[in-house]
Amino acid sequence: MTALRALALALLAACALAPLAAAQDAYPSRPITIVAPFPPGGVADLHARPLAAAMEKVLKNPVAVVNKTGAAGAVGMQFVATSRPDGYTLLLALSSISIIPEADRLFGRQPAFTVDQFEPIALLSADPTILVVRAESPWKTAREFIEDARKRPGQISFSSSGVYGTLHMAMELLSSAAGIKMRHVPYGGAGPAITAILGGHVDALASGPAAVVAHIQSGKLRPLATWGDRRLASMPDLPTFKELGYPDAEFYIWAGLFAPKGVPEPALAKLRDAVRAAVKEPEFTGAMEKMQTPIAFKQGEEFRKFFDADARRLADGVRRVGRIEEKK
Amino acid sequence: MLETFHNLYLGFAVALAPSVLLYAFVGCLIGTVVGVLPGVGPLAGISLLLPATFGLDATRAIVMLAGIYYGAMYGGSTTSILMRIPGEAASVMTCIDGYAMARRGRAGPALAVAAVGSYLAGTVSIVALMFLAPPLASFALRFGPPEYFALLLLGLLVLAYMSSGSMVRSLAMAALGLLLGMVGIDQMTGYFRFAYGVVELGDGIGVVPVAVGLFGISEILATAGQARPPEVLKPRLRELLPSRREWRESFGAIWRGTGLGFLIGIIPGSAHVISSFVSYAVERRLSRTPEAFGKGAVAGVAGPESANNAATSGAFVPMLALGVPSGPIPAVMLAAMMVHGVTPGPLLINQQPALFWGFIASMYVGNVVLLILNLPLVGLFVNLLRVPYPLLYPGIIVFCVLGVYAVNSSVVDVWIMVAMGLLGYVLRKLDFEPAPIVLGLILAPMIEMSLRQSLAMSDGHYAVFLTRPIAATLLAVGLVLVLLSLRPLVTRTLDWRTRLAMVEKGEEL
Amino acid sequence: MWTTDRVAGGVLALVGLVVLEETWRLGLPLGTLHNPGPGYTPVVLSLILLGFGAAVAALGGGAQGMRTVEWTEWRHAVAILGACAFAALALERIGFRLTMAVILAFLVGVVERKPLLLTAVFTAVFSLGAFFLFDTMLRVPLPRGPLGF
Repeated sequence: MTALRALALALLAACALAPLAAAQDAYPSRPITIVAPFPPGGVADLHARPLAAAMEKVLKNPVAVVNKTGAAGAVGMQFVATSRPDGYTLLLALSSISIIPEADRLFGRQPAFTVDQFEPIALLSADPTILVVRAESPWKTAREFIEDARKRPGQISFSSSGVYGTLHMAMELLSSAAGIKMRHVPYGGAGPAITAILGGHVDALASGPAAVVAHIQSGKLRPLATWGDRRLASMPDLPTFKELGYPDAEFYIWAGLFAPKGVPEPALAKLRDAVRAAVKEPEFTGAMEKMQTPIAFKQGEEFRKFFDADARRLADGVRRVGRIEEKK
Repeated sequence: MLETFHNLYLGFAVALAPSVLLYAFVGCLIGTVVGVLPGVGPLAGISLLLPATFGLDATRAIVMLAGIYYGAMYGGSTTSILMRIPGEAASVMTCIDGYAMARRGRAGPALAVAAVGSYLAGTVSIVALMFLAPPLASFALRFGPPEYFALLLLGLLVLAYMSSGSMVRSLAMAALGLLLGMVGIDQMTGYFRFAYGVVELGDGIGVVPVAVGLFGISEILATAGQARPPEVLKPRLRELLPSRREWRESFGAIWRGTGLGFLIGIIPGSAHVISSFVSYAVERRLSRTPEAFGKGAVAGVAGPESANNAATSGAFVPMLALGVPSGPIPAVMLAAMMVHGVTPGPLLINQQPALFWGFIASMYVGNVVLLILNLPLVGLFVNLLRVPYPLLYPGIIVFCVLGVYAVNSSVVDVWIMVAMGLLGYVLRKLDFEPAPIVLGLILAPMIEMSLRQSLAMSDGHYAVFLTRPIAATLLAVGLVLVLLSLRPLVTRTLDWRTRLAMVEKGEEL
Repeated sequence: MWTTDRVAGGVLALVGLVVLEETWRLGLPLGTLHNPGPGYTPVVLSLILLGFGAAVAALGGGAQGMRTVEWTEWRHAVAILGACAFAALALERIGFRLTMAVILAFLVGVVERKPLLLTAVFTAVFSLGAFFLFDTMLRVPLPRGPLGF
């Protein structure tokens, strides 16, 4: 037994000395982890992996991606928010980062995390959502759609990736801007939501363009308008809701890199430079091109302004939606 | 028709190219290893290796990922049979009769039947996929929330056939499982239910930790401390292959499982998990010896395993024909295609014939590869059982913890596994069956969600279930089945359960 | 008097009651039949569980008596469960390899009382080997301890 006891003591000693060993080496000296809070194959994941590959090249240091999924992203986001701010744990967040704490507050819950627990590093892409309806439906333009929705409140149904999710909030912003009321059928993710409209079970859907472009091309779905502030390069005939007179209906599914607040400035600076270089690397640009997602790189003040405005819009939207139960 | 064969020929030309073949083989190998590991199922395997495929071209990448998917399905049955640890949710039913067969020294035949059944099911469903993909996919798309609800209600009926003991006890277990399924975020309103501040429970109690804990860990807890260690049976080579009787019994099960699994698999959503449960119930209902189920009936292994594999191929139908993600795994495959610049969608078959037909051909190839990989490995795996139990079970525990953790990188899952292990142990002692808990856990959130979605679609009118033809038909079928099972009460003929009980008591029929 | 069915049925019915109480305490809205809220299904299911638990207990007179249930291996079971619980606690704190090493050493060396050399070799090979196979070769990210090991 003494041998085992010695082994146990040695282990305990190692654990005790561990913090000392996390030395003040030049950053980065260990593998960096980018946490993607969504399942593999999703938008976050498809941004994180090429970015990690490009950053690895730039920093000459291993960068790995870990999927920590759950609770519409809350698990992964909370994990990074509470992790050690040493610059080795980063978060690839989608716009839902502003929604989740607001939703928590709505329900009177202790928020899983708050937005100010994060330090924004860079915005990578900002895909505006587009409104699609089935090809067989009678609305040929966005105006017809909105008019019809006004005439028949609560009759037109739309699917979404989940309640208070990105696709739901996009429709919410439109509904409150245009003064219409639609019937919401939540699904468990963007994939099922797209399947639902293809199967004819709902009438409309707000979606990122890349996910539905194939169905638009094959003639199954018809795009009506976009939530961006300017027209899409890939679909120049699509009016923006701003043009149609609803400037508040602005929504992007954006992806950005964050770190927990408190990371020392030298590490932050290195990260910012690394990301700036990484988004030009072919690993990243090639992947984004294949996914038909335009790169919209923003850093520093620009990103902060964008982020704050977006967060404010979404927080208002969530509060307007209120608790679904109380409306009925 | 001719065109299909011509295309298939092209497809084989692509698939049998040495480099593509290599990737199919590597995929199958990795898939088998991943599948043998408890917990880490095909989804985790594919997602982890997705980045490794970035450097490859589309065909090779897809072929490798599909190989991983199939391999994991094959590998999952190995641990289920040998150690009563379900590789993933779909292998839970194989644990029951497969492990019982292993204890009787028939591990080899069980593994062989599983492998052959999977191969036949896979091949036949690929043929169906080839010829029927587009029309089947359109049909499958018509399954919306009301149809889903009706189908899942039918799935609940399966519970009646899951255990040999008293009906009331298995229903109580099912009720417990259903209630466990209520934990998590309510997807219709955003309320956190019964999560008590643990964010990881937002998506509910995972099926994998529950299955691994209830079956695998509890088995270890019950066996490890026994004064007499479990007999290590040393089978001879001849005993590694199934007997004539066993082949005969599995024959019908394999074909029925294939049909059932494929049909359930094409429906978008996660319904294909229940294909193995439904197959088990059907086999038991149709069998002449229902009392053998639970104690090592070969049909109880052949049916679910075939259904499993057929559902896997079925899941590809909407994905390939329409570009619709019919579940989390096809969604990852679609993403893989997008990353490689292939736009999935209804035009895929026409725009990328090399990819589509090469994929189909590689599935054939993959099935053959896996059969070749698995059959000789049967002997190897069975020899694993020879390792003395006191050394074997700590190793199994390490792999269980590893597998359960790796699914979501979550320690909460490990805790759930521990709790379920304890629960499973206690249930064994008190003579309750754990399988209904797993089924209830899977079905509850899906049934609730589809009911509320249906009501959301119809603005609260329950008539929606009757006005939609498919939903109404399914509900009618369910009603007929329930009435049929109540028939014995009316006509006073002996129900199979009563007969079973009488046989067990040794009475005259 | 105390048969397995009575005990089990009683516990299940109790669980049903607890869930009912929790649903009420957490304030989950029930909604209506035409628009069920988050509390609706849990209430229905817990009532069903309550019903079946009570039924099992009521019909459970003929089951095995509690006294005849054998718990002979409970010490072993507790040790194994303890090891698994330790794994859950330590996995992300001291890393995969160390945690597994401790568990294996405990189970093989202490619980099963195998000779020291065999324990040491088995432990080392297994914990390092499993890590190598899955983390390094298959790229399944497994936790490392604070030292990066």
